[in-house]
Amino acid sequence: METFFNILISGILLGGIYSLVSIGLNLIFGVVRIVNFAQGEFVMIAMYATFFCFAKFGIGPYYAVFLVAPLMFVVGLVVQRLVLQPLQNEPMMQVFATFGLLILFENSVLAITRGEGYSLAGTYSQTVIEVFGLRASFARVVVFIAASAIALGLMLFLSRTMAGKAIRAVIQDRQSARLMGINVERTYLLTFALGAALAGVAGALLAPIYTLSPYIGGNFILAAFAVVVLGGLGSVPGAYIGGLMVGLMESFAGYYVDPALKQAIWFIIFVIVLVVRPSGLMGQAGAEEVGLREQT
Amino acid sequence: MRAPLETAGAPPSFGIQLARYAGLLALSGVPLMLLWSNPYWVNVLAYTYLFAALAAAWNIIGGFGGQFSLGHGVFFAIGSYSVARLYLDLGLTPWLGIFPAAVLATVVALLISWPTFRLRGPFFAIATMAINEACFALANYSDKLTGGPRGILIPFRAGLSNMIFIERWKYALLMFAFMIVVVLITVWLRRARLGHYLLAVRADEDAARAAGIDVLKVKLQGMALSAFLTGIGGGLFAMYVRVLDPPTLFSLPDIGVKFALISLIGGIGTIIGPVVGALLIVPLENFLRGTLGGDIPGGHLIILGAILVAASLFLKRGIVGAVLATMRRARRRA
Amino acid sequence: MTEHFLSVEQATRRFAGLVAVDQVSFALDRGEILSLIGPNGAGKTTLFNLITGQLKVSDGAIMFRNERIDALPPHARAQRGMGRTFQIAKPLTGLSTRENVMVGAFLRHRAYTDAYDRASAVLDEVGLAARAEVPAAELTLSERRRLEVARALALEPELILLDEVMAGLNATEVTQVIDLIHRLNARGVTFLVIEHNLKVVRAFSRRVIVLDHGAKIAEGSAADVLSDPEVIRAYLGKKHVGHA
Repeated sequence: METFFNILISGILLGGIYSLVSIGLNLIFGVVRIVNFAQGEFVMIAMYATFFCFAKFGIGPYYAVFLVAPLMFVVGLVVQRLVLQPLQNEPMMQVFATFGLLILFENSVLAITRGEGYSLAGTYSQTVIEVFGLRASFARVVVFIAASAIALGLMLFLSRTMAGKAIRAVIQDRQSARLMGINVERTYLLTFALGAALAGVAGALLAPIYTLSPYIGGNFILAAFAVVVLGGLGSVPGAYIGGLMVGLMESFAGYYVDPALKQAIWFIIFVIVLVVRPSGLMGQAGAEEVGLREQT
Repeated sequence: MRAPLETAGAPPSFGIQLARYAGLLALSGVPLMLLWSNPYWVNVLAYTYLFAALAAAWNIIGGFGGQFSLGHGVFFAIGSYSVARLYLDLGLTPWLGIFPAAVLATVVALLISWPTFRLRGPFFAIATMAINEACFALANYSDKLTGGPRGILIPFRAGLSNMIFIERWKYALLMFAFMIVVVLITVWLRRARLGHYLLAVRADEDAARAAGIDVLKVKLQGMALSAFLTGIGGGLFAMYVRVLDPPTLFSLPDIGVKFALISLIGGIGTIIGPVVGALLIVPLENFLRGTLGGDIPGGHLIILGAILVAASLFLKRGIVGAVLATMRRARRRA
Repeated sequence: MTEHFLSVEQATRRFAGLVAVDQVSFALDRGEILSLIGPNGAGKTTLFNLITGQLKVSDGAIMFRNERIDALPPHARAQRGMGRTFQIAKPLTGLSTRENVMVGAFLRHRAYTDAYDRASAVLDEVGLAARAEVPAAELTLSERRRLEVARALALEPELILLDEVMAGLNATEVTQVIDLIHRLNARGVTFLVIEHNLKVVRAFSRRVIVLDHGAKIAEGSAADVLSDPEVIRAYLGKKHVGHA
């Protein structure tokens, strides 16, 4: 029984990680309708930047996050303006371009770090706390809390502020939003940058948990896609719950089936959701409208 | 491409189109004729011709059909592993083994595509990428079938029936022949009803349906042909490198995305584009790997990534596409 | 009771609370030219989509040549002899003008040369022969409209649905299209036409159907329908009833 709860907690905390990583992607998907293959790389870059802050300046990750997130915001602005805005109406080229960025970022970091594996883990994730009598890594609990806080904050932002409402309008119907005087291009720019900043937060908070590798972005991007599709494009609560579900599924599958097959699990989830319920659990945008699949 | 010899109003002759492409393809064989005794270049050319063929195969569904697959590595790997297994376990000569291998790749392709073809554009790409990663995990996992992470090693036993050659130029020639076959198939396809239907599906699925096209069936047919040829390519690859492991076969930058990148640079949806793209990219990448690879790990991929981004922004139609557009403009001014 | 060529029976289409097409019924006989008019948003294109299969009916049935077709996918209906144009012309980019038409021609002509010849003939018919080699993406608006018609014609359909094919055309072009429709009609092709231009409607339709808010509010000859107070009210608002 204790094993079960351990797996459960581990799954929930893992879910927190996935939620945090996916929340930025979800926003970008929902608003800009761009498939950003490089989103995982944003997380990865943020992780290295966090390590750099620690190694060079002794700034702990929980403080560095306030430097890294704005940094990633700027990175997002640049990428959107230079690469994605020109390709707004060409989905196939977006795939090429963002995949190109993925390869570019991945290997740039590889070249700079020369493949050395860095880790903050020793310093931070040794700290363990007790949760209902079960032990959990402090760093992971922080991630979970952060994911929950961000999800809540984002929901409030979207529903209470003008900027947030503009974003929601664009998610629902960009043509009408334009007609109402909303500057759609600027909304895209800011949303993409916001998505990158959220990836930055994820990277900073995940740095104490994972051993840094230039390839870690690739892992995150697939999980993030699965989460976003499961939870529904453009739905913040959907991404949050989707993340938890993917984390739980992976945790249970990892124990009862085989940890080596976790990618297969993501794919199976992904395909089943896309085929059976494309708008996700709580999708705001109809799947047909987003172009996810054919109209019936 | 239109033959300049045609009389206005009469359909262009298939024979003439075929002859023109055969000529261009023969031209691409000139480097092999000149460099057949240079082991470095023969190796580069073997990869060049093989990847030209694989890019042309990808182009059938990715270029003509507009279905951006990042999962062709799966069909490639199935072809490789199958030919290897049939050869090692059953002693089946690869010359025959490539066909059941290709059929298996096709069957898997159809099974994967049937649910995922409902997805539009980028989401189809994501799904295929996820399939690639899932199969990578499976290949690592199933020791018996694929040799797991260590992979399969095909011992060197030269012989025509083994498709293992001492002289490396014979491999390059084999790949060259394969490329010719695949490209000529695309010449036929472009002219056939299926080719037109694929292009229509790519352009506008609703309009295609209104024209009586069963969109799903057409996509599946295109995918079947594409996967079949990719499977054969995988089989040839297996007998060339004779070391097959999951990281090699399922690597997206080296395999899955490479087919798409070559088609993009050369010209998506054109016939000779994949060949042009391969002639450019493969030697370039080898050169970069040689010069940068040691000092800057991943250096050649940085450049490849940059090329991918730049091409998607500035060279969407690829080299061949840009050339055709310029020719058309010149002809109109004339 | 005589069987009709096309029979729409209580066709209804709902979109999450909005009723876009509301129990519309009408019949079309072979050789007719029937016009479908109504104010913007009346549901005309939606009705077209129900007939050609881009949308499925929420309720009701559609019979074509005595066969119930409302469960068939669009390509199957096209194969059975239904051609259509789209309100926003959809040229197949990446293909030449002739190849665009060949895409339609391939339905009945499997071989390249046959499809090529058939497409050339159709291009002649619609007056696009000179532009046959031009990439479809480079055609002007009026040429795109004609391409839409050409691609539908290449299917050798028995029924053609035209969705506002005159929009944006100048007077000469409008006359050309009307002539084309008459020529084809003389050869036995049946037409169902959505049209805003009431002069055009009067010019070639014997019968007119009026939709408003998804429902059929009038049916009859052009003259009758256009003086029907219900119709006037739908187009112009209550004030104008009585000022025909």
